[in-house]
Amino acid sequence: MTLLRQTLTIAGKDLRSELRTKEALNASLAFSVVIFLLFSFAFDPGNLNLDINEFSGGLLWLAFAFAAALSLNRSFARELQNDCLDALVASPATPGVLFLGKALANFTLLLAVEMISLAVFSVMYDVRIRPQFGSLLLVILMTTWAMTVIGTAFSALTVNLRMRELMLPILTYPFLIPPLMAAILLTTDLLAGMPIGGDNAIWVRVLVAFDVIFSLLAVVFIDIVLVG
Amino acid sequence: MDPKEFQYVFAGLVAAWLILVIYAVSLGLRERRLRKELDRVRKMVEKR
Amino acid sequence: MREKILYGLGLVGMGLLAWNLYKIAFDLPHQANVAAYQIVYFHVPAAITAFTGFFVALVASGLYLATGALKYDAFAAGVTEVAVAFASVNLATGMIWARYAWGIWWAWDARLTSMLACWLIYAGYLILRRAIDEPTQRARLSAFLSIFGCVDVGFVYKSIEWFRTQHPAPVLSIRQGGGMGPGMESPIYWNWLAMLCIASLLVIVRMRQEDVSREIDSLRRMAHSY
Repeated sequence: MTLLRQTLTIAGKDLRSELRTKEALNASLAFSVVIFLLFSFAFDPGNLNLDINEFSGGLLWLAFAFAAALSLNRSFARELQNDCLDALVASPATPGVLFLGKALANFTLLLAVEMISLAVFSVMYDVRIRPQFGSLLLVILMTTWAMTVIGTAFSALTVNLRMRELMLPILTYPFLIPPLMAAILLTTDLLAGMPIGGDNAIWVRVLVAFDVIFSLLAVVFIDIVLVG
Repeated sequence: MDPKEFQYVFAGLVAAWLILVIYAVSLGLRERRLRKELDRVRKMVEKR
Repeated sequence: MREKILYGLGLVGMGLLAWNLYKIAFDLPHQANVAAYQIVYFHVPAAITAFTGFFVALVASGLYLATGALKYDAFAAGVTEVAVAFASVNLATGMIWARYAWGIWWAWDARLTSMLACWLIYAGYLILRRAIDEPTQRARLSAFLSIFGCVDVGFVYKSIEWFRTQHPAPVLSIRQGGGMGPGMESPIYWNWLAMLCIASLLVIVRMRQEDVSREIDSLRRMAHSY
């Protein structure tokens, strides 16, 4: 199926170009570790009354969200040089395919950063991630996809604006509040060892609904933004 | 209605309408600025 | 003609409001005597007005995308701006009610947070419009944001049903799980009508400004093209 092949070609192009330099990868990773470090100053680590399980999810997803903003900005911005964006839009690939390819590449990179950060986090804050790891992975996958879809769509939207680096976070983060709320609540519970179910289940539905609805919307309407 | 409750209701109403009044006033100010700009640009076109 | 519509709308809105205030203060059945609860009669209609505005803006954005006529984009922008004002009213009255009922100005539960997120989304819409000078690009990108934003409005609307937190459960009888006492619900709808009148008034004023603004743009272009 050519649609799939086109999507994978675009995703492969982005991944290859990123893996050659590893700029955004290293920057995002370093940034998330710095955030973990800075947070440790906000809370006194020697305080035995402090229960990391109260805010583990929040800390983790804040770091992921900020790291995501770094790499998502470059997604379409790197195509501006040499009119690459115009070439891509003029190619046989439809804007929806272009969007999906870039989203796939961003998703993979973001996931890599998050997995490494998760390991660093569990070491720095002494959090056990092995119990409930399957559910944790599921939550991470769904929320990362949500961040990717919104971030890539708005990266396309802001690519031609003067204040691109400023507009992307302003527009993206409010949209990401529902899935991030869900992820934070679920992650906090999962890292404390509790399974998903009962009170938590609604947040899983929120994540799934958000992913499905906004993926469809983005693919269908992205040609409004990516027109030549 | 005891007096303290009344204070809250009053504060609520004032807040609600204050926001709308401020918005309406900002619209009015913008209107004045736009009219001035319009006159200025019209004069600029007529001069040519 | 337009002036007459404006004055007419203003009078109807003010009239409805005054009549409703009288009803709320003096005429409700006995159960309504928790005084500060009456803030609800402004808090809920403001939210409904804001959501109506966002939905109308979505329709206008869709019309722009379908036809390419910039007047729809101007309409969408005006309606969104007025809707953001009413959403601010909703948040402010909510905070005052919260201070009275729960002792705190704000709570980070699902409903309040999602309403704040909605407000931020549309504030971002207004910021985006300021950041783009070219009218067609501005219209296109705003329309895209409007479509996405309205989906989030749906989420906020439903979140009151789905999440059991500090914010009161649905009270309107038209929604699942709601139901105030008899005779207590109508002031909400009347207030909504009054707010719609005022909102329409503000939108019409705003639209006039959009027209003036576009005339300035074209005159300026004409002046500089010699």
